[in-house]
Amino acid sequence: MMLRKVIRLISKSHKLDPGRLLHVNIRASQSIAVGLDAQIPGEKSRAISRTQESDPAKHEEQHLSQHYNIPLEEVKTIFPHGFPPRFGMQVKTFNEACLMVREPALELLHYLKNTNFANPAIRYVLYGEKGTGKTLTLCHAVHFCAKQDWLILHVPDAHSWMKNCPDLLQSTYNKERYDQPVKASTWLKNFKTSNEQFLNQIKIQQKYIWNKRDSIEEGRPLGEVVEQGLTRVRNASDAVGIVMKELKRQSSSGSFRLLVAVDGVNALWGKTTLKKEDKSLVAAEELTLVHNMKKMLSNDWHGGAIVMSLSQTGSLFKPRVAYLPQDLLGKEGFDDLDPFVPIQVYNYTPKEFESCIQYYLENRWLQHEKAHTEEGKKELLFLSNSNPWQLERLCAYL
Amino acid sequence: MEMFQNPGLKKMIFSIQYHQPSTWEASLIEVQPVKTESNKTGKTSGKSRKQVLNPRTTKMTVDQDWMSVYPAAAPFKPSAVPLPIRMGYPVEKGVPMAKDGNLELIKIPNFLHLTPVAIKKHCGVLKDFCTEWPKALDSDEKCEKHFPIEIETSSYVSAGPSLYNPKARTVTLKIRLSKLNLNDHAKKKFIRLVGERYCKNTDLLTITTDRCPLQRQNYDYTMYLLTVLYHESWKTEDWEKKKTEADMEEYIWEKSRSEKNILKTLLQIKASEKTAEVTQEDLLCSEEVENYKKSVVALKNEGDTKNNLSHYKEAVKKLLKLI
Repeated sequence: MMLRKVIRLISKSHKLDPGRLLHVNIRASQSIAVGLDAQIPGEKSRAISRTQESDPAKHEEQHLSQHYNIPLEEVKTIFPHGFPPRFGMQVKTFNEACLMVREPALELLHYLKNTNFANPAIRYVLYGEKGTGKTLTLCHAVHFCAKQDWLILHVPDAHSWMKNCPDLLQSTYNKERYDQPVKASTWLKNFKTSNEQFLNQIKIQQKYIWNKRDSIEEGRPLGEVVEQGLTRVRNASDAVGIVMKELKRQSSSGSFRLLVAVDGVNALWGKTTLKKEDKSLVAAEELTLVHNMKKMLSNDWHGGAIVMSLSQTGSLFKPRVAYLPQDLLGKEGFDDLDPFVPIQVYNYTPKEFESCIQYYLENRWLQHEKAHTEEGKKELLFLSNSNPWQLERLCAYL
Repeated sequence: MEMFQNPGLKKMIFSIQYHQPSTWEASLIEVQPVKTESNKTGKTSGKSRKQVLNPRTTKMTVDQDWMSVYPAAAPFKPSAVPLPIRMGYPVEKGVPMAKDGNLELIKIPNFLHLTPVAIKKHCGVLKDFCTEWPKALDSDEKCEKHFPIEIETSSYVSAGPSLYNPKARTVTLKIRLSKLNLNDHAKKKFIRLVGERYCKNTDLLTITTDRCPLQRQNYDYTMYLLTVLYHESWKTEDWEKKKTEADMEEYIWEKSRSEKNILKTLLQIKASEKTAEVTQEDLLCSEEVENYKKSVVALKNEGDTKNNLSHYKEAVKKLLKLI
């Protein structure tokens, strides 16, 4: 009897416009997901935790606290380096990438939608306590820009450039600086995957000489520089520098829009744990990648935007409780990034918390009997203090 | 001798019973001689045992002159203090030790010689040697206004092997910096020279000296120090011109990175909008830049607070014309 009703509902929903937000559709999908024999917990507690709107450009206030789905093919192109590790595991487990639409993200998207491309690029800095969702908000913004056909220059974690690099090379271009071939080539590979269509359109405007035998002429597509970086790993860092320089110069011309997205930007002004041959520490400025990145982050170009997020996780020599901009960026970082628009990312609001629990329940992630009861939810709320990171870790055990 | 040759004689034991006065009202108690029983017969019995007198507490009246009991600082004498004090850690199911033979009470300092009555008498005697306090100085503010410098010295009188107490040399000078005539540069230099001796919250400079052997010399030295600091802080040396941003005590917005950044950004915006040529001064005087300047100074001087950050955000949004 229940089964027939559900089938009828599904057939009805197919006739309706799939783009619209449908209570019926959601009820149907929920019931199928939860299982026909399971008791759907009371009508009132079934806060709508999903939305069908998968285009970030159309996300409005009514979509707040709801999860939207990013199709997996888009995930491969837009986020080739993957998501932050735990979220990546969740994506693999649930076989879908769902981001929650939240207030800071909407604010950021609003600013991005209203950017004046003739003015210098505005810098937005996402900051907040540990685990509140800064990286995923950044990903949301990146998805939006990718859908709008911007060129994405995404650095998933600047902290990884500051540590664990066994192959530090002295730069051929500038004797003072140090190259990181492997990290540069990984980045170039990801850059290529995400911006395939632009690489042939953009032509370089200057001749670059790699070494005595190799050089690249003016007017060649940018794709060739990337290829050179990938094949000749020694020159990868310099290739990155060239890419950044060209993009900066040409975004002002207006043929494309550029989004620079850096996660963990405070690493660029922090310390490294890399050592030179004489066992002295390498300063951040002495790395080619960092040097070029800082040039990218200055606002002397127009035709795009710069979105950054601060991160204490993975930062070196910074106390665990530091999360405010000046604490993490330091004096130099603040001076370099000034003026920027700081956007704070908070813990979950009650509505968002409810929505997250519903999402986990739908995907049958919470197996504990008490998980869907009110006391269970209150307990989770108390234990995690509405912190998304903490909540995710707690739910992993349930 | 005869007594003890007679073995049949009973040895007499007088029991000791004296009432401890439970309250301050002590009643005269009859003195009873105390004889201890001698264990040994024979030779020692002839000598009379030393009479142990009753403690002084038994002879005290309520309205006695306490100053005669404790005229000066003296260790605690249980027989002279009529209080039933107990002190010490009690054994299990017991009470703290009584005062007789209590080492804890003797170890600690007591102020039995400083009862209010005693102090009043002391002051009465000292008054003959004092001059009157001037009537015009009846409040703290007036004292500070007319006498900004405070000198603290200590004198010690004691009867001992030497008359000279080494602690008597120290001289402490206290003055508020607002009373001194210092301009901005002089004040900053003064504070740097003085270092730890200046307290920011109370604006108080404290100089303590004891490097000279005499108190008089130390006093002269502190006055000399004050004079030298004052004059040196007014002078500007050549090398002070090399003061960098890192040396600055507080953040000054003029000629800072922030100013340069914002000017560059604004000029670029204006250029892109193709409005009429705006000079730097015009930009600097505009209200939005003023707001921005205030918020940056607050952020740098006070650190990140929610308020500061939200002000900064608003200021930047207005400047960059974000909705």
